[in-house]
Amino acid sequence: MDMLRITDLHKRFGDKEVLRGLDLSVPEHSVFGFIGQNGAGKTTTMKTVLGLLKADSGEICVNGERVVYGQTATNRYIGYLPDVPEFYAFMNASEYLDFCGEISGMSKRETAKRRDELLELVGLAGETHRVGGYSRGMKQRLGIAQALLGSPKLLICDEPTSALDPVGRKEILDILLAVREQTTVLFSTHILTDVERICSDVAFLNNGVVEIQGSMSEIKTRFRIDGYRLETANEADRDAIRRAFPTVKAEEGNVLTLTEQDTPMFDVLRFIAEQRIPLLKWERCEPTLESLFMEVTKK
Amino acid sequence: MRSLLAFTKKEITEHMRSGKILFLGILFVLFGIMNPAVAKLTPWLMEMLADSLAESGMTITEVNITAMDSWVQFFKNIPMALIAFVLLESNIFTKEYRSGTLILSLTKGLQRYKVMTAKTAVLILLWSVGYWLCYGITYAYNAYFWDNAIAKSLPFSVLCWWVFGLWVIALMSLFSALFSTNTCVLVGTGGVVMVSALLSMIPKLTEYLPTLLTDGNSLIYGVKEPDAYIAALAVVGSTALAALVGGLILFNKKQL
Ligand SMILES: Nc1ncnc2c1ncn2[C@@H]1O[C@H](COP(=O)(O)OP(=O)(O)OP(=O)(O)O)[C@@H](O)[C@H]1O
Ligand SMILES: [Mg+2]
Repeated sequence: MDMLRITDLHKRFGDKEVLRGLDLSVPEHSVFGFIGQNGAGKTTTMKTVLGLLKADSGEICVNGERVVYGQTATNRYIGYLPDVPEFYAFMNASEYLDFCGEISGMSKRETAKRRDELLELVGLAGETHRVGGYSRGMKQRLGIAQALLGSPKLLICDEPTSALDPVGRKEILDILLAVREQTTVLFSTHILTDVERICSDVAFLNNGVVEIQGSMSEIKTRFRIDGYRLETANEADRDAIRRAFPTVKAEEGNVLTLTEQDTPMFDVLRFIAEQRIPLLKWERCEPTLESLFMEVTKK
Repeated sequence: MRSLLAFTKKEITEHMRSGKILFLGILFVLFGIMNPAVAKLTPWLMEMLADSLAESGMTITEVNITAMDSWVQFFKNIPMALIAFVLLESNIFTKEYRSGTLILSLTKGLQRYKVMTAKTAVLILLWSVGYWLCYGITYAYNAYFWDNAIAKSLPFSVLCWWVFGLWVIALMSLFSALFSTNTCVLVGTGGVVMVSALLSMIPKLTEYLPTLLTDGNSLIYGVKEPDAYIAALAVVGSTALAALVGGLILFNKKQL
């Protein structure tokens, strides 16, 4: 079953149409990467899912229940980490989690148990300072802790790693990976290496619609380019290959790329063998999310 | 219920840790002491000035100070306390809009009306405690120095002023639900009070306007009887209720 399903979502701000018929389905227990450029509408989509923004049209279901704007009952399934989480600066981390437990109707015992577990998980155990003095990384980690407090079925994180240094990013990603057993994770980002590291599913948001969506492996097979990249030792060899095969493309330096459709690989290999051309490198091009991202956003 | 209490507790803790409670406490106590003190010091001030006044040809007959002078001071100073209170608390909602702290609470399932209820309740609590503290101090000093009995309808007159403060709080809640910056809240609240004050210059309207409740002097001097305030009290009660209900409706729809 899908934990989150969005159908034909439209949203405009004034005369600016941000979402134009967005469809998205997030399978249960996936780690779902929601990719889009700055201003693509990732935050807008997430806020609509949380009932913080009113959709112009379209339907959103969380755990099979319809989302309504304003007083949003479906939020009981969701833990949310906003892009810039802000907490009451006068509390410390464990006071804040206690407060969260109380307002969401958890029992005192359960809150205390979850609070200690989560502070341990995010590495804030024993932190007694007030939140006002926290670094962004610490705020982000407290943000994850508060989002997970109620053991939500769906964890929504808005660019959880964008503001962090590589170490902080790795910590956050590890936490997200660690919780995927218990929950479904949907997070937005434009850092593609993060997605490649932890996601099981991805969706590309562009021009207000989801252009590509699917599991990571599915997308990699679907968009596989049967291409190769080779590097010759000198320019003369490079030019010799290019003369023999005009469809081969030159990159910078002595690097050449070719695709199977245009240039049969074995012909090139035979030519290289016959001419006894020394090679520095011969490799298969893997489709990267980056190349996909470029392709999607180029249109 | 527990979540409402938790949010109220959070508000109070915030007020304590930010020092707002301390500030308000000092403010109201200071005003409470100042009212009788100014009255008490008046003859002494007069005496100090007497010589220079005599030179300019004025003679001062002996001034007779009573509890009345202290209560006049009370009604003169309490507006300043209310203004300070409103200035200090005008951001009780808006600072949460700006920082985004409310979003996390609301997405945790806290109902919106509880946010509004808790904040309004804390405002009412602070105003009431401060106001009656100020009143109590003035009353005690007056009883010690003079006799409070000469002020007519005293309980009713101070009650009216307290109710006026509650009405202003209801306006603050309404404008906090409507607007997102504390400047707008201040302008809205101040604007309505101002309009009421301006309209009350039209004699026919005076008795129906909320600002009548601030005229405690007429009551203690017996110029007006409590009956004359009933209409204004009814107007205040109904508009405050309307403001609170309207505020709740707006707040439920507010985009945060
Ligand atoms: N409240 C608003 N009023 C007007 N325009 C808005 C509002 N919120 C968002 N927008 C516009 O909607 C577009 C999408 O914004 P959104 O914040 O959803 O993008 P995003 O994908 O989260 O970008 P980023 O990666 O920068 O966080 C932006 O162009 C923005 O200008
Ligand atoms: Mg965003």
